[in-house]
Amino acid sequence: MKPSQKMIDEETGRYLPVIYPEELPYWKGAKKRELWLQRCTDCGKTLYPIGPACPRCLSVNLQWTRMSGKGKLHNYVVYHKPWTPWFKDKVPYAVVQVELEEGPRLTTNLLDCPIDDIKIGMPVEVDYEDIPDGITLVQFRPAQE
Amino acid sequence: MSITEVSKAMRDATAICGVGLTIGSFPDRTPLSLATEAYLLALEDAGLEREDVDGIIQLSYGADYDRFLEVVGADVRYANQGWTHGRFIAPMLQQAAMVVASGMAKAVAIVHGRKGRAFGQLADHEMWRQGLGPHGESPPYGAFSPAFGVATAAQRYFHMYGGSNEDLAPIAVAFRKHARLNPLAVRTDPMSTEDYLNSRWIVEPLRLFDCCQNSDGGACIIVTSAERARDAKKPPVYISGMQGVHAGPEFHNLTLPGLGVAQQEVYQYKPTKDDLYAYEMAGITNKDVDALITYDAFSPLVLFGLERFGFCGPGEALDFIKDGRIELGGELPVNTSGGLLSEGHVVGWNLFIEAVNQLRHDCGERQVKDAEIIQYGSFLGESIIFRR
Repeated sequence: MKPSQKMIDEETGRYLPVIYPEELPYWKGAKKRELWLQRCTDCGKTLYPIGPACPRCLSVNLQWTRMSGKGKLHNYVVYHKPWTPWFKDKVPYAVVQVELEEGPRLTTNLLDCPIDDIKIGMPVEVDYEDIPDGITLVQFRPAQE
Repeated sequence: MSITEVSKAMRDATAICGVGLTIGSFPDRTPLSLATEAYLLALEDAGLEREDVDGIIQLSYGADYDRFLEVVGADVRYANQGWTHGRFIAPMLQQAAMVVASGMAKAVAIVHGRKGRAFGQLADHEMWRQGLGPHGESPPYGAFSPAFGVATAAQRYFHMYGGSNEDLAPIAVAFRKHARLNPLAVRTDPMSTEDYLNSRWIVEPLRLFDCCQNSDGGACIIVTSAERARDAKKPPVYISGMQGVHAGPEFHNLTLPGLGVAQQEVYQYKPTKDDLYAYEMAGITNKDVDALITYDAFSPLVLFGLERFGFCGPGEALDFIKDGRIELGGELPVNTSGGLLSEGHVVGWNLFIEAVNQLRHDCGERQVKDAEIIQYGSFLGESIIFRR
């Protein structure tokens, strides 16, 4: 994987993530179906969004660490308006915020879960979605208990 | 923490002496021509000549400040340009006041021209920024538009305090009533609670009528010293108190602290005295406020503005907005022009201009009787106290 500034896949019209150089370990991890984030080696905080310093103690000693992939649903909203043509047959769809066991909250979708079954507090686990341009997105799904 | 002597000296030291505003749909105009028209309207309103204005402040959208000055043939000794977001309008007006108070310019014109979908706007790219967009947007997941930030905040608010979308209805309904008394407003069809509930979902829990309408338009506000303002054509509107945009991880944009949006902590936010220093600077309390003007690009922001300035306690705003309390004639009229939801959205500059018109007692049918003090105060803590 390489850094990328491509915002849209021309063939499908799907929006892509911009891949910033310092975020490559996250994207390489997702490609291997693993969730990796930075952990501060001085105070132990796991941080998100990905960044160059620890927002708790301002240390720059950060170590990429594999996450458990477990968390709970912290928040969600439901899109009814398709902002781009690609979403026309996807609406209504949910965008969720998942709180990881390790603390940070990620913004993703919730795969294989009807909108009416989405509840704040429900246990979720990480999953992955392959999208164009050789990119894999971190996603979540209801936890298999 | 008490406010400083310098801060107290700023009370009523500067004033707004001229305003100009256009809102609507101008398919054959450019932002530059809309900015120019607003500037000419404001000069006329103040009774000033071009040469009387020696400072310019602009938020970028169309042409840059230097191109604008080239158009109007004006040389100034103070110029600055910022980045267009609604949260930056109060800092720009505050800067104009500070520039005048410090003597760097005698009169500063804040000038803005905007076309909703004009070529060359940056907002379309902002959502791809490193570490999510400015309202938490994430394009590959379909999290688009500032609506995302406020929908996540509203959902958390309902989760923490109870309530649901239908409880937001009194906001849009009240502001539409106000807009129907405002000749400049762009949304003036009557709106009942039923109409509100029948409007389509955009990003649940927000409906169409919870979202503002981005308008074309131009705005200009001229700030000068209190002394010079007293010689202007219209009565001065003094800048009595002010406080800045609060920012940081606990102030994620389009929410109130404590709601747990993005990485925010979860707790019940209640302002402390230090969170309300604009009142101290102006020598008032929130009980002295005759009308509140708050940034309402989306209706839940009104709840957050009310709680941010202690007009009601945490989680109480859904009750506060009921029974006409925020309507003209109510206990605390809010956004008497119709606000961004119904008057139209000129980046929020039109909200300040409504405060000015109210304090000049120029608002006709929608005039707040005997208005003396109007507060602009928004959910991120930025505020300006205006006094007649």
